[in-house]
Amino acid sequence: MTDRRAIFVGGAAAAAAAAALLTPTEASARPLEDVLRAGELRVGVNPTLPPRALFNDRNVIDGFEPEVAAAIAQKMGVRLVLQAVGSPERIPMVASGRIDFVMGAMSRTSERAKVIDYTVPVHSENYGIVSVAGRGLTTIEALNKPEVTLAQVRGTTAIPYIQRAMPNAQVLLLDNYPDRNRAIAQGRAQASFDGIDSVRFALRPFRQVQWEVTAVPSFGVTYSGLGVAKNNHSLRLWLNVALYELHTDGTIERLWEKWFDGPMFTKVPASPFF
Amino acid sequence: MNYSLIYSQVTPHIPYLLGGAVLTLQLAVISFVAGWAIGLVNASVLHFGPRPARAAVQAYVTFFINTPLLVQIFFIFFVLPDAGILLSPYAAVAIGMSLNAGAYLTEIQRAGFQSLRREEIDAATAMGFSVPQMVWYVILPHIAKALYPPLSNQFIIQVMTTSIAAIFAVEELTGRAYNVNSLTFRSLEVFSITAVIYVALTLVCSLALALLGRWLFRVKARIL
Repeated sequence: MTDRRAIFVGGAAAAAAAAALLTPTEASARPLEDVLRAGELRVGVNPTLPPRALFNDRNVIDGFEPEVAAAIAQKMGVRLVLQAVGSPERIPMVASGRIDFVMGAMSRTSERAKVIDYTVPVHSENYGIVSVAGRGLTTIEALNKPEVTLAQVRGTTAIPYIQRAMPNAQVLLLDNYPDRNRAIAQGRAQASFDGIDSVRFALRPFRQVQWEVTAVPSFGVTYSGLGVAKNNHSLRLWLNVALYELHTDGTIERLWEKWFDGPMFTKVPASPFF
Repeated sequence: MNYSLIYSQVTPHIPYLLGGAVLTLQLAVISFVAGWAIGLVNASVLHFGPRPARAAVQAYVTFFINTPLLVQIFFIFFVLPDAGILLSPYAAVAIGMSLNAGAYLTEIQRAGFQSLRREEIDAATAMGFSVPQMVWYVILPHIAKALYPPLSNQFIIQVMTTSIAAIFAVEELTGRAYNVNSLTFRSLEVFSITAVIYVALTLVCSLALALLGRWLFRVKARIL
């Protein structure tokens, strides 16, 4: 480790990696005509966010978002290729054209929109408190105490809000929703403030716990669209038209009810103008 | 259509990332020191202990070397609470990493013990040294020189391994990089800065270990 050559080789490798990162890549996002010509639509989904996407009992990616992607590919008349993506690589994968758009926790924020373009919303995201019943943790004020630990999933939109509105609460950042729910069930944390759209699905494995889910409408609603590479206007505009049709013919609402065990808490108004 | 690298969105978060690097280093030091102590005791048992104790150490080493660290920490973090043992995220990760490092450091130090000359042990025995005294006054000074480079490498591996702590709610460097990434979506910028911090961290550690080796054991490791 302390050999001069090792340091030189390490330094050279670091410099090469930095150069590769800093040099604009040749690969780029595919416009609509390239996708049509290739006859293949590549979509990134995150299978750690059930029921948005998950691996089914045949170990195949399934869920709400894969089915919406399939409906989009069918409208486009091309084959659908699903790609499992995680949080760090999803944006570079869109930017480099490895996937044409990304789904899965793509909540719109002005900060994120500096890096990626969004289509019109696919679905709404509604927020609330998940806790064990009978502990009185049903308001923001009740959560904002040093003795309360909130189990949250790393990288979700609620975290900046928690830092602002509940500065006294302790925060435990975990990797995924099953771990978050397990942490609350085991008493490692008392509650969570997060999206409540998928709780009916996510809390199923913890039937021994008496859960309490309280909506917090005052937080507001966020919207999740398809993430398209910056300035890939031809694809994004076509996707807007396709999503408008999928909203108005009821496909998206039907798929939502199928996977989320109930209607969307806040309907997405389908606007014909983009 | 190429992705434009814009670091200005990420640079304000560098102090936050550096705070994570401190935690990374802290975890690496704690788990390495604890693992080294476990390894030293185990290597002594393997060399001098009775057969049942040797078998127990072998079982420990086999288990921890042949199962992923992630699974080991998952067990401590999520399975032990069902048995009434609720450890903090930091403690769970530190214990998991120490036990895992202990297995590897047992093997490293066992090799050091095997490099000992029989005459040295015989001389210590003739002088009436107990096993702990023999290990501390005779064996350790002898093997320190031979083992210092692999132990240093193991420490650097420990620094890298701390990134697993992010999964278990410990806000070390990788965990904080994930947080900044989700806020800004600037993955390339965030993780390239994180990589540079890791490189700096390991270079500083290598340098410190080389100096320490020279000072403590007269190990002739080159310093830049």
